Amino acid sequence: MYDWPGVGCESSLKFLDSDELGPQPFDVIVVGAGAVGCALAYRLSRFRLRALLIDQNFDVGEGTSKGNSAIIHTGFDATPGSLESKLVTHACRQWPILAQKLRIPYDPCGAVLLAIDEEQEAQLPNILKKARANGVDDVKLLGRSEVLELEPNVPSYVRGGLAVPREAIADPFTAPIAFAEVALANGADVLLGAGIVTVEDPGAEVKTLVTSSGKRVTTRVLVNTAGLGSRALADAYAGQPFDINPRRGQFLIFDKVSRPSVRGILLPVPTPQTKGVLVIPSIFGNLIAGPTAEDLPLGSPDATWTTKEGLKAVLEGAARLLPDLKRQPVIGTYAGARCNCSQGSYLIRYNDRHPGILTVTGIRSTGLTSSPALADYLIQGLTDNCGLKLEERADALDGRPEHDLPGWWRRPFENTELVKRRPDYGRLICTCENVSRGEIIDALESPLKPRTLDAVKRRTRTQMGRCQGLGCLVPIAQIISSHCGIPLPSVTKKGPGSELLSS
Amino acid sequence: MNSMEKAKVLVIGAGPAGVGVAIGLARRGIKPVILLDRSERVGGVPSLYKVKRGGVPTFVLWTQGRVIFGQQMAERLAQKLQGSDIEVWLESQVSEISPQDKKVTVVSPNRGRFQVSADAVVLACGAREKTAAERGWIFGSRPSGLLFLKNLLDLMDHCDVRVVSRPIVLGSDSTAFTAAAILRNAGASDAIVVDRSHKPHCSLPARMYFRRWAKPVYHEGAPAVTVTGTQAASGVTLANGAQVHGSTIMICGDFIPNTELLLTGNLQVDLTSRRAVVGSDFQLSRRGWFAAGNILGDYHGAEWCYFNGRRVARRVAEYLSRPDNRAKYSSPV
Repeated sequence: MYDWPGVGCESSLKFLDSDELGPQPFDVIVVGAGAVGCALAYRLSRFRLRALLIDQNFDVGEGTSKGNSAIIHTGFDATPGSLESKLVTHACRQWPILAQKLRIPYDPCGAVLLAIDEEQEAQLPNILKKARANGVDDVKLLGRSEVLELEPNVPSYVRGGLAVPREAIADPFTAPIAFAEVALANGADVLLGAGIVTVEDPGAEVKTLVTSSGKRVTTRVLVNTAGLGSRALADAYAGQPFDINPRRGQFLIFDKVSRPSVRGILLPVPTPQTKGVLVIPSIFGNLIAGPTAEDLPLGSPDATWTTKEGLKAVLEGAARLLPDLKRQPVIGTYAGARCNCSQGSYLIRYNDRHPGILTVTGIRSTGLTSSPALADYLIQGLTDNCGLKLEERADALDGRPEHDLPGWWRRPFENTELVKRRPDYGRLICTCENVSRGEIIDALESPLKPRTLDAVKRRTRTQMGRCQGLGCLVPIAQIISSHCGIPLPSVTKKGPGSELLSS
Repeated sequence: MNSMEKAKVLVIGAGPAGVGVAIGLARRGIKPVILLDRSERVGGVPSLYKVKRGGVPTFVLWTQGRVIFGQQMAERLAQKLQGSDIEVWLESQVSEISPQDKKVTVVSPNRGRFQVSADAVVLACGAREKTAAERGWIFGSRPSGLLFLKNLLDLMDHCDVRVVSRPIVLGSDSTAFTAAAILRNAGASDAIVVDRSHKPHCSLPARMYFRRWAKPVYHEGAPAVTVTGTQAASGVTLANGAQVHGSTIMICGDFIPNTELLLTGNLQVDLTSRRAVVGSDFQLSRRGWFAAGNILGDYHGAEWCYFNGRRVARRVAEYLSRPDNRAKYSSPV
């Protein structure tokens, strides 16, 4: 049912031909294929029902989910008793097993919260109390010498800190991809490049969704996990109003040579306004500093742009935790927009003005962490409130099989036997991250059939190394072009409108 | 990884500098010399600048007072290699180096991963254009149409770039004016060149030379420019708030040495400039390891790199004749 040939235009999706689809409505349509939407599709696909995951972008995880800090939080600093606290602490315990099953790179590197001055030191007991209230019992108060023993490169005048041993990092790009791939393997459908413009008969039992190109899909239950787009979608079905402000977070990526300067994540003492700038090792072996927190109006185009002031603030903030960073080489910058909702975080509305419509929004920084627990919570809520009937399937997959998976961690060029069988694994296209032609073709052949440069980038790490695509951009575009039969100048970065060359 | 190759000298990078080293060694009768490169041909960066009828020649042969195409420069280098004993391995990427035991790990499509050991290793890996983040004055979005000059040269081999209207060039050294001239000559309109300084970095004679093909307009963008456009690039905003529209934004010039390999082997690299730290004999922080060409960090033309390679070859030969003599090794400059 899933097909995405050519440039990946929605019009070429086979299953939207009405005769193939038939009059049968879907049981659930999830709109928004970020971490939350994909996790929901993954969990739903265990059951005997027809589910569809829709996104306006041409890959999963293309919105808020791609520009975050990639931390799997313990939830030690969440508001005790809140839904966020409950879901995050619960999900954090699931992650080690989940990552293994889904082949999501995961590193339980731990974190240290640093108190730099007396004022911050005085707050440590409160934070510890909060952590206990959240059920994170392994958080430990550290003295100055203990902090320096764990993280020798932090400022020597550090006053003390907290050890958060279960705080972890994961691959933020692979997570939604893995969720969606399992969902797809279990028979759920994925429709990408399809923005929803109208919802017809939202009050009826069977609702009709009309996409930007005029295609129609019908469903009994509609779940809105569209993140920054959730407001526009809620307006389309006339849900209860809420306000979304993208909260921009800018990040600096440091070279891999900087990675050994920390053991795990470095956290500042949070202020009432913000959690502050962190120093985070990335699962790929870089070091990341960020984020900023800047509220922007909804729809402003610069929600994912970097600014001079923002990046300067990041560097200064990060240097307070790790002074050496000011000398370290920066290889890249990025900015992401959190889905910040004025009506509160984790805003969940069942039967939002109409039966069978679920609005999930305001998932800010902890979405990647909480997504598996949130998905279970939402499925429970859907059965309780929206009359969703669930029947477990015995043959449903729970994880991704190890073999024939594209993944940057496989490094097939190291296996001489493999290279002899398939010389493309020895043709290194990206020489910063050592990615071979064979892996790029594997990525294009992977279940979600990515067709854009950014989608290939998130699966293989091409264009993410030191040269940021200087050497590999055109060779990859050529591989996409010849493998998928797209003219070279029409190969896109992230879907139609972002062609390699345009007039 | 079972096979192990042995060489007297291994030269990494078959650009002008690497070829210079290999030729210099061969003329001294040193063999076997292995010259390897990750691309499919000899010549390094010059080989990207293809000969085109009515095209823009950009490589200066100072010894002959001529300007030729990069590809011609690459062909001259390839000719020099012919008839010598130098073993040239192409499509061979060095994935890591281990200076302790003088071994280098190579990956190639036909042999997979294997190791080469050598009495001396010369790193002639050249330089690349700095990324937007490395320049530190380019902010904003990362849309499509944001290209390095190398991307453009790669593209021109395979498709028509006439569709590019109003290109914007960020950076103002001779590479930037090369990009403007090549684009204009290929049918695009005159470029807008933006850099931080009051005047372009490119020398006046070079700018006069390129005026035969293009008359780009220069804009001072200090202290920062913002790239705009969410899907495709729509232009840049200068620090004074002025908008410059354009769908293709080139990031040109401003080089940084390719010292990644040195870092994998813990050889000393200056982290700010990313230059290889060498002594007066071009020897790196471990004996028997040398650097040649633009990896040293003063960005010169192809011919300079070739002659620099020849000079390094002399030092390598000296080292090979008395490898234990430390007197020659001065402290790193």
